[in-house]
Amino acid sequence: MPIIREIIIPQNDRLNVSRNLNLPHSPGIRAGDFIFLSGMLSTDPVTGERSPGTMAHETRQTLTNMQHMLESAGSSLERVVKINVLLYDMLEFDNMNTVYRQFFPKDPPARTTCGVQLSAGMKVEIECIALVS
Amino acid sequence: MPLARIIVPPPSCGLDMAAGYGWPQSTAVRAGDYVFVSGVVAIDPDSGERMNGTVTSEAHRVFQNLKLVLESAGSSLERLVQVHAMLYDRIEYDALNRVYRQYVPNGPPARTVWSVQIIDAFKVQLDAIAIV
Repeated sequence: MPIIREIIIPQNDRLNVSRNLNLPHSPGIRAGDFIFLSGMLSTDPVTGERSPGTMAHETRQTLTNMQHMLESAGSSLERVVKINVLLYDMLEFDNMNTVYRQFFPKDPPARTTCGVQLSAGMKVEIECIALVS
Repeated sequence: MPLARIIVPPPSCGLDMAAGYGWPQSTAVRAGDYVFVSGVVAIDPDSGERMNGTVTSEAHRVFQNLKLVLESAGSSLERLVQVHAMLYDRIEYDALNRVYRQYVPNGPPARTVWSVQIIDAFKVQLDAIAIV
């Protein structure tokens, strides 16, 4: 029997960025035991607007939203196996890490970080693969 | 039953980026039949020293490190499924490929090459998904 493929929708409608901005991707996809989330930018969970700021602010907001997204899918940050962090400039690597570390205090996931050009002048984008709980 | 999430121990102290460099990341995580490997760069697997060099020299070191990590997780280069190959400049694409094909001569994994900025001025970084 083929494994299920299911679209993941955040409980908070404001965080359904791809639908609100009419972008051709889903917030996430569940495939069997795995959850694949789309790249997330810092979004205000109350207004649904982009929330640009310092690297610390954007990292904190993005990971907070990611936690919500994973919990909506029956998972959590503790179940993340792989993370890709995209930064607008690798000079801010340490600023990202300072906040990142607070979200993964123990047994952090495997991770790749690189510097790329991001949409809309944002400073960080984060995507992940997680296991369902 | 939810699948177990298992932290793969670093194959050597030099490749323990959490201990050596203070980065909040595990070397690799195993989930079910899959192994997810963190971005690997050209560092000495014993001393942890950066081995910045040419694309060719870095790519050799990176593949040898990746091999160590995969073996530590009960996998191997032959069991790679998907690779993200990160390169500091597209102009070195052929130089990367020359080394790359030596390590995955038969049935190479799915791959995407990105031109990106890599930490500590490295020229090559690889991350991978493999099966055990």
